[in-house]
Amino acid sequence: MEQMQWFLMGVLFTLSVFALAWLSVKVRLQWYVWAGMITGVLLILFGIGWAGASFMEGISQSGSMGLIFFCGPGIVMIILLWRFLIAPEFEKQAK
Amino acid sequence: MTNESDKKKDDAVQTSSAPVEKSSIPGLSELLEDPSKRLFFKRVAVGGGTALLGGAASYGAGIHSLKGKVSEEYPQIDEKLFKPKDQRDVVLNFVSSKALNKKHPERNEQYNRLQKKEFNWVNGIKDMYSKPWDNSKPGYTQKDRALQKAGWEPLNLAGSRGSANLQPNTPFNTWDQSDVEKEQYQFESKKHASDAIKSAARVFGAVKCGIAKRDKRWDYDPLYDIENETELSWEKDFPFEPKTVIVLLASMDYDCIATAPAWTADGTAADGYSQMGVKATQMAKFLKGLGYHAVGAGNDLGSSVPYAIMAGLGEGARNGALISPGVGPRVRILKIYTDFDFVEYDSPHTWGITEFCLSCGKCAEACPSGAIPKMDSENGGYGFEPNYEFSDEPGYTWNNHIGIKKFYSDAKKCYNFWVENGGACSACIASCTFNEPDFWHHWFIMAINPVVPKFLHASMALSHPAFGYGHTNDPKRAIKFWKMGEGMRTNLGLKNNIGTSNKT
Repeated sequence: MEQMQWFLMGVLFTLSVFALAWLSVKVRLQWYVWAGMITGVLLILFGIGWAGASFMEGISQSGSMGLIFFCGPGIVMIILLWRFLIAPEFEKQAK
Repeated sequence: MTNESDKKKDDAVQTSSAPVEKSSIPGLSELLEDPSKRLFFKRVAVGGGTALLGGAASYGAGIHSLKGKVSEEYPQIDEKLFKPKDQRDVVLNFVSSKALNKKHPERNEQYNRLQKKEFNWVNGIKDMYSKPWDNSKPGYTQKDRALQKAGWEPLNLAGSRGSANLQPNTPFNTWDQSDVEKEQYQFESKKHASDAIKSAARVFGAVKCGIAKRDKRWDYDPLYDIENETELSWEKDFPFEPKTVIVLLASMDYDCIATAPAWTADGTAADGYSQMGVKATQMAKFLKGLGYHAVGAGNDLGSSVPYAIMAGLGEGARNGALISPGVGPRVRILKIYTDFDFVEYDSPHTWGITEFCLSCGKCAEACPSGAIPKMDSENGGYGFEPNYEFSDEPGYTWNNHIGIKKFYSDAKKCYNFWVENGGACSACIASCTFNEPDFWHHWFIMAINPVVPKFLHASMALSHPAFGYGHTNDPKRAIKFWKMGEGMRTNLGLKNNIGTSNKT
């Protein structure tokens, strides 16, 4: 199970790198947007790793807390950045 | 990341007439001819590579942190207060000796008067395991009692049960040196010798092993033979002059300890004591086989925690135990005294554990007997002398080894609770913030602990129970433990998956 978790995190990491690289090609963004996006991705990956290990060790409360306190802020950060700073850039470039 | 220069490069690629080298992979040449796709793959490579390098650097920093820093601060001794500890004045020794109880009735009387108890020291251990079980009370059922007794069985069979109560020279920890090989094995170097000892310790099932110089400050002096009620001398009675003390740690089961203070937890504690006996006798035999004198020891001969600290295995904690990175206080310490000194000695290390204890206090909150100094004690309970309740009463602190800077607890209260409870407690181990299973996220917290600002330690301690760890006195834990069964992790030892078992 633990090996499977690390494998899946590797897949997620690779997909994240591809997604960020795609974004960098498609749109021009300020440095703080990038900082936020990278932090968000790292928080999500950290949260998944934390939760996976916690569920495996049998402490599900720790797993849930990991998802709430690490993945949650990461997802919120990415959504807000996308909604208010990235999507408008796409629209601007489309015009 | 995306900026003007990238855009220019992009445009340059678009306008360039330079031919792109054809690839043998079908479709790849077309892909590389598209400038935006080339840029995309370049960024994947650079971004991914940078992230991997960052990850590798963080991993390296974590490993470095987990090795700890050499501590110049340990031990801090107040020479005016310090004197060697008489073995007779250790609680487990005292309560096991009828002669000592007869000699010091005032100790029992003072304790009962101050604590408003009617507690009988002498019958304590006998009473402890004679309490009737209650099959409707999780953690205190017949199977919990059976687990306790089974845990002790190897020591009982070997006639060495007394070693837990400081009885020296038991069959497991024999002083007999007649089986020492005549030819002494010569190691190439001190490092080879230390590595060989630690490799043997690993085979015997120790989770960690460290090597300390023999230090008379930590040895009980005089020693005491409880069975024969006689004083023993290091010079006259001990079979050789020890120069080295090898310290091994035997871990206890995480989920079993989590049931504390139920009898279930005492099952793994008892097993830990048996492991101490087995591993100590094995390591002593190994050294004898190499042609050197050796005597194993459990709680006897010397104080285990300072020896373990001197051997670089961990730090002293508020609960009076050793906290070792990776296993926390969930360990039993055993020692092997030997005259073999051609070894590389380990030295005390710090991981910021004692400092963390100053801001945590979870063990003191969980302690059902109130034996551990709480956060609101003078200096947080940390100093050269005990400052727990009634410690200013003359003679009350007879059991403490005074003059060493550490957390002093009232082991008399602790022992009293064991007897009332019907088994050793372990709540201070279960509740400890450093008591974690062997998974990466706990190693991560351990690695960042030394660089976390002090003011965050208290919130880290608070988040431990919030994340579901360290609860005690919870019958559900005993139910959970017994349901785990086969297929559940055993967690008997460290997986050592990031190479931090001891310093190797």
